[in-house]
Parts: sequence; structure tokens; C-alpha cells
Amino acid sequence: MKIRRCIYLLVFLVITLLNQTNVFAQIEKKISNFSLRNVNNKQVSLSDYPSAKGFIIIFTCNHCPFAQLYSGRLNALNKKYSALGVPLIAINSMDSVLYKDETFDLMKIKSKKNKFNFCYLQDASQMVGKDFHATHTPQSFVVWKESGKWIVKYEGAIDDNGEHAKLAHSFIAKAVDELLAGKVVSRPVTESFGCKIFYRKG
Amino acid sequence: MKKISLLVFLIVILFSMSSMAQYNNLWIPDTLSGTTFNLTIKDTFSQLRTGQQTITGGINNKFWGPTLFVNKGDTVHMNVRNSMNDSTTIHWHGMHLPAVMDGGPHQVIPPGTLWQPYWKINNLAGTYWYHPHLHEMTFEHITKGIGGFIIVRDPQESALALPRKYGIDDIPIALTSRRYDASNQFVLTNTTYGDYMLANGTPNAQVSLPKQYVRLRILNAEIERGYNLGFSDNRTFYIIGNDGGLLNTPVSATRVKLMVGERVEILVNLGANNVGDTLNLKAYNSNQAFGFPGGEAGISGQFGSLLNNVDFTVLHIKVAATTANPITAVPSVLSNNIYWTAADATLSRNLTITGGQAGSNQPFVFDNSAFSLTNINKTVNLNAIEKWTVTNSNVFGHTFHIHDVEFKIVARNGIATSVGDYESGWKDVMYVPRGENVSFVAKFDDYSDSIHPYMYHCHFSNHEDDGMMGQFVVKDNSILPLNLLSFSVIGKGSTVELNWAVANQLDSKAYIIQRSSDGKVWSDLEVINTTDTSNQTNFQAIDYSPMFGINYYRIKFLDKNGDYTYSNVKSIQRKGEEFDCRIYPQPTKSMLNFLFNDPAYQVYYLKVLDKVGRTILMMPRPILSKGLNVSQLPSGIYYLQITDEKTMKTITKQFIKK
Repeated sequence: MKIRRCIYLLVFLVITLLNQTNVFAQIEKKISNFSLRNVNNKQVSLSDYPSAKGFIIIFTCNHCPFAQLYSGRLNALNKKYSALGVPLIAINSMDSVLYKDETFDLMKIKSKKNKFNFCYLQDASQMVGKDFHATHTPQSFVVWKESGKWIVKYEGAIDDNGEHAKLAHSFIAKAVDELLAGKVVSRPVTESFGCKIFYRKG
Repeated sequence: MKKISLLVFLIVILFSMSSMAQYNNLWIPDTLSGTTFNLTIKDTFSQLRTGQQTITGGINNKFWGPTLFVNKGDTVHMNVRNSMNDSTTIHWHGMHLPAVMDGGPHQVIPPGTLWQPYWKINNLAGTYWYHPHLHEMTFEHITKGIGGFIIVRDPQESALALPRKYGIDDIPIALTSRRYDASNQFVLTNTTYGDYMLANGTPNAQVSLPKQYVRLRILNAEIERGYNLGFSDNRTFYIIGNDGGLLNTPVSATRVKLMVGERVEILVNLGANNVGDTLNLKAYNSNQAFGFPGGEAGISGQFGSLLNNVDFTVLHIKVAATTANPITAVPSVLSNNIYWTAADATLSRNLTITGGQAGSNQPFVFDNSAFSLTNINKTVNLNAIEKWTVTNSNVFGHTFHIHDVEFKIVARNGIATSVGDYESGWKDVMYVPRGENVSFVAKFDDYSDSIHPYMYHCHFSNHEDDGMMGQFVVKDNSILPLNLLSFSVIGKGSTVELNWAVANQLDSKAYIIQRSSDGKVWSDLEVINTTDTSNQTNFQAIDYSPMFGINYYRIKFLDKNGDYTYSNVKSIQRKGEEFDCRIYPQPTKSMLNFLFNDPAYQVYYLKVLDKVGRTILMMPRPILSKGLNVSQLPSGIYYLQITDEKTMKTITKQFIKK
């Protein structure tokens, strides 16, 4: 009797301790694979990158003035981290019916104009945005491959200074560096802000 | 308890010290003048604190909008483009204009749409403003920073020796405050009062003012906080204007309470100072009676803030050299307004502030009735002079604002002499303190519209969003002139029968039936002679060949003195024709012309939509006689939704832009 109670207590403590290590992380979201159209008209999925360790997913759009500040930084992030097995993928979940600036043609023009070296995908149905619970542009996520599943390890702002890239400390670079080194992300959530993403009903 | 208050004291000192550390030059909004104004509302960002930028909303700017200089008597045309992600509206606060141009909750501008209202400036010279008014989003949009000043000029004010050099000795100051989170973003939830001042969107603002009389146009653009304004040396200043224009004579004061939505124009003399002196415009908000918004204790949370119940600096002033042609005296007479009195009112209305009790889920509303977009709360007759009393036997103070009119506060708690001198001018916002009732009198003239209403509401935008608002229509139920009891027209086959009845034939000489195809140019159809001794009171005339389309009829009354007057206008459409129009040329490269089946059409609203159904253009009461210029539109298929003024029927037409 006493031993059983001790075992239950031990199990309870172990579980609590395990949970304690995740106390800085929010509930770790699982992300489904998706297939979205890229500005080069080809479909892109997470499963197209079998050797990727993880992804930097940026929700951005054409017209948001705050998101527009980051084009150069997104190129730099992709250049560095795709070589390390963590490519950057940009997704536009804005309603292209409501915002005439968010059509696929204008996405192509923006990608060319800003010389994007990464995929810029249209989430026309807004399903991927909803899956990630993306609320603003720009909003960034780091997903990591664990046991065949994609887990969100970081979500929030790209860095802490939109206007002055040289003064900015990159939250996302730090998170990816920590994950590449096998560590837990020290700051898994920061505040997201920018232009609100409105989701169509239904 | 003592330890906590000591800690609070130290924190407050620390914060107030850090805020005095560095000043930023007060941003003076750029100006637009003339009769056409281009305003683009956008999502943007501002550097308000060190580190990350704050997401804000601005009009042509990073925070706030340009000051619009308009002249009384001019007709102004606004091109308001909404480039934000969210729908919004822009309300012209204090402007007397048609309800369909008002920019209240019913004139929603979707993202990407251009709204083109226009109206004649009827207001007296004064300081007005424009700001969002989307239902349930007003708090968020105002917090973002969307808004701007409107300064009306008129010949009477321009003739006075008052400071008038904008940005030099005539300064607009929008007072507001904000709470920030760890990423420097505005806090939008669970907050009522900001922790840090922003004057014209500038944190820790300072301004150089010349060593002479200067004019400050101060607006309370807050969510709830009131400002008990005064100077750091308690000097006397002169109140020269209220919300709706100049006072008749200046009122000297050392303090003035400015509540949400109100404007006050003051003159203050810096002539006795030395160049290099400094002083502060302050809010003496400590120890106010309970119910004063911003007087609540507590430095954080829903109802606390770092600026609650303390005296704080609103604007740091540095005295600079005198300018050329300085103003050196306060005019003893400013204007000759004749104000309404309680006796002028022919109808009285009462509104009671209900709800809002702590612990209950009921928000503050009027008369236990939350605002509903589809419910018209009151119908006011055109040209009526009414007295409205707002009763606040409730727990907290509020401000009350009504659209369309400027009013005169005639009583506080039923006593005329309790109305302050400082609020004795034309106003459109009034402070309704806890435990008081306040009455105003206004005339609802010039504009009537049985469909689009005007609003009245508490100007605390959080209360407004929660339902502390109502709406009224101004209806034209004008009395028929010259003893006319009735006048009707009826179609009978291919003829039109006109019938009218008079109470008596006093002074009558003749009735002339007049007809028009456009309501503007009239021709005599028939003359019926009569005498003032005749007993006949009922008359009939027949139009044997009415025109195709709409026929307008009126009766011209000629009396024996040669004077004449007109009845109201009746119209009848020759059977078989409905409100319709032809659009040409199809397709078009630049101009779109309209041919209405009735030349006397009056279009109430015109909307242009693209082929996907997005609203591109909103035009209330458009002038289409020279056509519509669509050259700026990308090629494609478009739809027009045209609403007829008379029948309120909407037709949809398609056109192709080459």
C-alpha cells in the first residue's frame, strides 16, 4: 500500500518536473504540412525539404509598412540558415479579395523587386495562417522537426527594432542558433504586432 | 501600508524624474488649406520610446493628421482614402453638415476605398477636429492616433487682433496619454488611462513660444481622462473660445477643466517673462472630486495609471524672442453671439445615464438602452429649437457630445447661474459630472435626412463602443404656408389632378399652378383667379398633358398686395417610367456620362465597385452633371450602385474601363 502511494507520488513528481522544464515554453504547437503556391507558380510543402532540421516561417504581406522594413533581413536570414538546414519560407495569408494589394501577381512583383531569395507563398484559403494562429504581419515562427512532426519552438517578432536593422537584436536568429546547438529556446515567445490579419468567416 | 505608499511615492518620483530628463520638440501638425483636402488614413509606426517602434495609425503622417484650414462659407471637398487594414470612418467633429456627410458609424469606409463627402462650412471660426467613429472600434482607432484639427476662419475672427501665426504664436495641442507594453506597443485591453503624456503625439513635449501673447488651441483627444489645466506658476490666462467658436468676451482663469472631446482656446501672456525662462502647462489632476476621470487612485490596472490623481506636466514651454507684430493685449470684445435660452426651446428631452455599476455586466448606456445601428432613438423636426437634459445620478462623470449642432449650456442642476463662464459659448461637448444634470439648447436647422441619422454619445470612446450612444434623424415636417391645409396630386390615366384646400381666402388674388421637369425651372401651367371675399376653400386643377418622367408641381399664391409665396412641391411620375439611367460611352477611357430617364434626378449615393465586389469609391450626393472621371481606374469591369434621393431605390449598372 505504502509503496504504491510512493510510486504514484514519484510518477507525479517526475511528470511535474518534466513539465517544469517546459515552463518557459508555451504549449508546443504541432504544425501540419501544407502545400502552397510559390511566386514561381510551383507548389511548395514542408515535406519538399527532407533534410531540413527546421524552418523559419514568416507571415508577411505586400502592403504592410512595418513588414516592408524586413525584406533585407529576411534575405539575410535565409542565406545564413538555409545553408545550416533551416530554410526560410514567407507566407501571405492576407485576404486577396479584401485587399487588392495582396493579389498573387503583386506578390510576384514584390518578390522580384525585393530580390527575395526565399519562397513567398500565397495562403489563399488562409488555412495555414489559421493553423499557426498567425495574427499580424510580420510574424515569425521557428518550427523544428521532432519525431517526424513539426513543432513550433519560437513565435513572435523577428527582432526588436523594425526601422533600424543595425540596432536590432534578432530573436529568431537566437532561437535557431539555440536549436541548432541542441538547446532549449530561451525566449520562445515574444509579442507579435504589425498589420492585423483578418480571417474570413467560415 | 506606510511602506507601500513610500514605495509608490518613490516609484512616482523616479518616473517623473525620468520623464523630465529629456524633452522632444512638440510636433506641430502640417497644414492643408483651400477647398479640396486629400487625407490618407494608414497603418504606420512611430518612434515614441527608445528601442522598438510603436505601431500607430496616422493620416498622411506617422501619428495624428494635418490641420485643415477652412473658411466659413466655402464648400469643401474631402478625398478620404482608407489605406488601413481595417474599415473605419472619419467624423467631422463639431461640423454642421448633412447627416450623409457626417462620417459617423453609418458611413463605413472599407479598406482601400475613397470616400468623397463635401459640405458648406457653416460653423463660426474656431477649433474643431476629425476622428474615427466606427462602432466598437473607436477606442482602438483613436488609441492608434488617427485624428486631426480643423481650424475654421471667418472674417469676424480674422479682423480681431489675435495671435494667428500657426506654429509660432498660435499653437494647436492635442492632449492624450498612452500605456505601453514591453515591446513598446500601445496597450489596448484592460486599460482606461495612459501612463505617459503625448502632446501632438510627442512624448515629453516642449515648445518655444515668443515673449508676447500666445494662443493655445487645446483639444482633449483622450479616451477618458480629463485635464484640469493651468500653468506651473499659476498665472492668469484668458479663455477666448469654446468648442463652437469665440466667446463674446474673454474669461480670465487660472484653471480650466478640459474634458474628452472638448476644445478650449486660451491666450496667455509671456511678455513679462525673460527670453530663456521656462514654465509648464500642467494638469492639476490631484485631489479632484470622485467621478473626475483620471482622479482614481492606483498607478496601474484597468482604472489606475501613473498620471492618475497627480499633477503632471503636459507641455514644457521655453520663452523665446518676441516676433514682429506681436499681440500685446487681450481684445475686450471678441464676438456678438446671441445665444439660445431655455425659453427659446419648444420641446424638451431627457436622457438618463444608466448602467455601469461595478460588478455588473451592464455597461454605461442612456435610458437602459444600448446603442443599435438599426434603431433610431429620436426624431427631431427640422428647425426645431430643443432643450436636452442629460441626468447623471450615476457613479461616474461622463462627457456628452451631439452631432450636427452647436449648443448653449443653459443650466446645471436646473440653475442657469451654475453654468460656468468658461463654458458659456457655443459648445458641442459638455461635462456631465457625477450627481449632476446638465441642460443645453440647440436649433436643428438646415439639414434633414430621414434615412441617415446623427449621433449623440458619451465621448469616452470605450463607453461609446460599449453602447453609450444613440441616434436621431432630423425630419422636414415643414408647415405649409399661407393657410394651405392640404395639397395633393394624383394620376388619373393620362392626366394629373391637383387638389388643394385652404383655411380661408384672406388676401388671396390668384393661384398659379406651376410645373417643372427638374424642380429648378418652373413654368406656369394655369392661373386660377380668386378674390378674398370668396368662400371657396377647395380647389382643383387638371394637367391634361403631363410630361414623360417626373412632373414637379407647386402652387404659387399671389396675394392682393402683389406678394407671393409657394406651396411645397409634389411630384408624380408619368406611368411606366422607373428611376433608371443610361451610362455612356461604353467602354470608356476617361469620362462616364449619365443620362437619367428623369432629368431632375437627384442621386443620394453613388458607389463604384470593382468586379470582385470591393468598394472603390463612395460618393454621397455626387454632382454628375459633367459626368464621372474614371481615368484613374485600372482597366476592367466595374459596377455602379446608384441610390435615388426621392425613392431611395438603388440600381446597379455595369461599365467597362478601357
